[in-house]
Amino acid sequence: MLRIHQRLFFSLSLLALLFCLSGSVPSAKSQDSAVEPPATVTANEVKDVADELWCPLCSGVRLDACELKACEQMREVIADKLTAGEPKDDIKNYFVAQYGPQVLGEPPLEGFNWLAWLLPVAVMIGGGVFVWRRMRGMIASKTTEPPPSPAAANNEYYDRLEEELKRYD
Amino acid sequence: MTEATTSDRPPAAGADREQPASKRAVRIWQAVFVLILVGFVVLLALRLVQTNQSEQRAAGEAPSFTFTTFQGETIALEDLRGQGVVVNFWASWCNPCRDEAALLEAAWRREKENGIVFIGLDYLDQEPAAKAYLAEFDITYPSGPDLQSAAARRYGIKGVPETFFIDPQGNIQELVIGPIVSQNRLDELLDQIRP
Amino acid sequence: MIFDIGHLILLAALVLAAFGILGGYFGGQQRNTRLIQSSFNAVYAVAALVLVATVILWYGLLSDAFQLSYVWNHSERALPTFYKFSALWGGQAGSLLFWCLLLSGYSAIVAFANRHRHQVMMPYVNSVLLATSLFFLTLLVFAADPFKRVGFVPPDGQGLNPLLQNYWMIIHPVMLYLGYVGMVVPFAFAVGALMSKRLDNEWVHTVRRWTLIPWMFLSAGIIMGSQWAYMELGWGGYWAWDPVENASFLPWLTGTAFLHSIIIQEQRGILKVWNVVLIWLTYFLVILGTFTTRSGVLESVHSFARSDVGPYFLGFLVIILFGFLWLLFDRLPLLRGEHTIDSYSSREAAFLANNWLFAGIAFATLWGTFFPMFSEILTGERISVAAPFFNKVNGPLFLLLLLLMGVAPLLGWRHTSLAAFRKQFTFPTLAALGVGVFVFVVARSLYPMIGLAICAFVVATIIQEYVRGVQARRSTTGENALVAIGNLWRRNGRRYGGYIVHIGIVLIGVAVIGNEFYQQSLSVTLATGESATVGRYQIVYNGMQTDRQANLMEFGAQLEAFHLDSGQQVAVVVPKRNIYDKAPDMPTSEVGLHMSPIEDVYVVLNGWDDGGASATFTIYINPLTMWMWVGGIVLVIGTLIAAWPNPVRRRNESVRALAYATGDD
Repeated sequence: MLRIHQRLFFSLSLLALLFCLSGSVPSAKSQDSAVEPPATVTANEVKDVADELWCPLCSGVRLDACELKACEQMREVIADKLTAGEPKDDIKNYFVAQYGPQVLGEPPLEGFNWLAWLLPVAVMIGGGVFVWRRMRGMIASKTTEPPPSPAAANNEYYDRLEEELKRYD
Repeated sequence: MTEATTSDRPPAAGADREQPASKRAVRIWQAVFVLILVGFVVLLALRLVQTNQSEQRAAGEAPSFTFTTFQGETIALEDLRGQGVVVNFWASWCNPCRDEAALLEAAWRREKENGIVFIGLDYLDQEPAAKAYLAEFDITYPSGPDLQSAAARRYGIKGVPETFFIDPQGNIQELVIGPIVSQNRLDELLDQIRP
Repeated sequence: MIFDIGHLILLAALVLAAFGILGGYFGGQQRNTRLIQSSFNAVYAVAALVLVATVILWYGLLSDAFQLSYVWNHSERALPTFYKFSALWGGQAGSLLFWCLLLSGYSAIVAFANRHRHQVMMPYVNSVLLATSLFFLTLLVFAADPFKRVGFVPPDGQGLNPLLQNYWMIIHPVMLYLGYVGMVVPFAFAVGALMSKRLDNEWVHTVRRWTLIPWMFLSAGIIMGSQWAYMELGWGGYWAWDPVENASFLPWLTGTAFLHSIIIQEQRGILKVWNVVLIWLTYFLVILGTFTTRSGVLESVHSFARSDVGPYFLGFLVIILFGFLWLLFDRLPLLRGEHTIDSYSSREAAFLANNWLFAGIAFATLWGTFFPMFSEILTGERISVAAPFFNKVNGPLFLLLLLLMGVAPLLGWRHTSLAAFRKQFTFPTLAALGVGVFVFVVARSLYPMIGLAICAFVVATIIQEYVRGVQARRSTTGENALVAIGNLWRRNGRRYGGYIVHIGIVLIGVAVIGNEFYQQSLSVTLATGESATVGRYQIVYNGMQTDRQANLMEFGAQLEAFHLDSGQQVAVVVPKRNIYDKAPDMPTSEVGLHMSPIEDVYVVLNGWDDGGASATFTIYINPLTMWMWVGGIVLVIGTLIAAWPNPVRRRNESVRALAYATGDD
């Protein structure tokens, strides 16, 4: 019994996920709740806010493109709040309070999440310093080969090309 | 990652006098690199265990949670010890939830005198739509938003609806994934958690 | 009956693969020619068996054998035949079988092509290839059996996922898999080289083309995936930094780094450790990507349903990671560099910088992809890491990479003199300044100006390189310009084909800059006959048309786009919604698209009322997007030029191979 339920449910939740991508059911029901904000707020103003939020039920789908019913309802909430005169940042904060930081699409700059931003930078800097020091060491210790011939700059290119072409011949 | 791996490169010719020190450095880098990878694999394994865990959720002590209903009343699960608790995760955008809403409400009205409490936790929902849903099905048992999905995460739900049956001692007796549509089935489940 | 045989065939392939691994290993150790020959034969036999098994599954799909769980779940009677064919890679078990088919196919070609060469290395190469096959066969036999029965014979199947019913979805996974799977080959050679202690440039020479070809497929697959996302998902973009997209992008990054850094090893004999590490990382990322998209470890919209293959993958990853490291640490003393780097202003230094950037981008991408998982395990908080993060972190790195792409060809090996430096930089710098000023005057924004100026720099460098190459040839041979270009490609395709690839990348970069900074959009509800204005266009809604297809209902909104000033009709645009019989609540979207070199008019149909009396659209104007697809084609052409066998070099290689074969062993 449990298993059958699970399978059923699983397909439901999978469905929900795919919904995010593929858009709403163009049935009568969804038309009622389609983006139809109050007269004072245009669809475009809603989109402007929704552009910076992410669907909490999907992964990596922007709220303005997600057509889950939940997302439609979120856009309605945005329209209501815009009508009430709330600024964009307040609306975003409201959604963070409701659903958590996952609606932001990037880790907020606090606590453990700092690591998400700092580690790549640290690795880039660390790697850069390492490569540079390595290279410096190598350059300092070059004694094994004679320096490149001081050919005239004009000829350098041709020489190089010929040398390379020869290498493959 | 970059520095760890490139450091394995043996020192350039001509740097002979640095050999012992750099050899030790290479060893240390190797160890660091291996440890990072071990950590990564362990986390992957943990995650894998978590994602496959859904079967085991229907047992053990129910994780605690506190929530505020749409009417403004704050309820904590601990305060409900001694009664059987039915925790139903739902959402207004969830169509299967509609199949069980009336049944749950009827059961609540019938059973509330028998020491059974129904609780609705609203999962990733929007307040206007949620209130409309509650009004539509005339739901009177306490129901409120699960802010930041705190409870949903502790219960490890995979979606809605999911319903947990918690006995008076605070242990989860049964878990139903998907809507409960039969009265008999619901009665069987309730019998397991009567005080 | 025949399907039971399919299962047995996979089992037989598994046993043979295991046998071949042992044959290769012990044959290589003991130089036992009979064992070595068996490892070759095992490679061929596994390929043949997997092919037969695949054909059986195809037969099941085409003949509607719904008693098979896989066919039941991923096909239906009314499904058009080519989708039945492509349903092979539409689900978990089938796509694993497809993986295995491509892998064993690659293995057989590699083994056959090298049957008389690299005699010390090949047994180990065979073993590594077979070990990877063995892993996938284990999955197919024990965890994800494509020939599993339902237990009864259902009258009809449940249909293929509507999102996969699209012609891009037939070709895109094939390309991606060809790229993905192909990266196993260079890794096998790297391990072969380590095991046989043949750590000179031999394996690097061999592996270059075996990396270029999968790299080309992987690039094409990624671009086609973007094309699919652009046309089907309807959010106005082509790349969302979604975990599955990242899974294909990560090995591309390390693979690209590898393709560049083996050049330094070939030329200067340095970076030997780094190169084996890079190809190992690429292989690891391929397996990791396959794992994460199939285990639900990183929830993603493209993921296959979770199943029990996870633990197998984890075990295999552990073997890859620690087995390889053990081998590498053991062989470190043999991997000494032969030369040093002479100067910061040398091409070696530029290649090092290139590797630093690629490795950095790969790390940031990997980190961002897995960060939500780390965060949830370690702090319990759910975070989404999506486009804003990746754009902020990777954007500047990509810009640096682009700049380096322009600078590097101007530097000589070992050292570049100041005079040469000045001479080389004049023309590209002027070009960059010109474009930069132009963009600034027209658009007045900083980042696009920098980006496009760098693009101009790169293109100018490449043009200069071609002009000089042609001049050099003309002064020595007197041939005309076209013949000279042909000869440059033929004799040094690696370099001059590589430049073509760079042009492709620049074109893609231009499209990205256009979309990132100049996209316009509008959400609007229109009644029949009404119009909306976006950018330079007026768009009129002319009503809805419905069309019945084999297994779906198609709803298309008829729109016309006119130029705002001239009033001339630009295009008829028809965004569609498809509603599938087997999945009515899962409609797919097909955007209405008018492509042009300057900008695309891109319309998504969001919903409609009263049978189409009014409809809601999101209209996007996407500048320069077409150049992304053009860039993709240019990139493939460039790769083919770079990979084309050079007749002269080929002769040398076979002489060298012969020398190895008859040499000290």
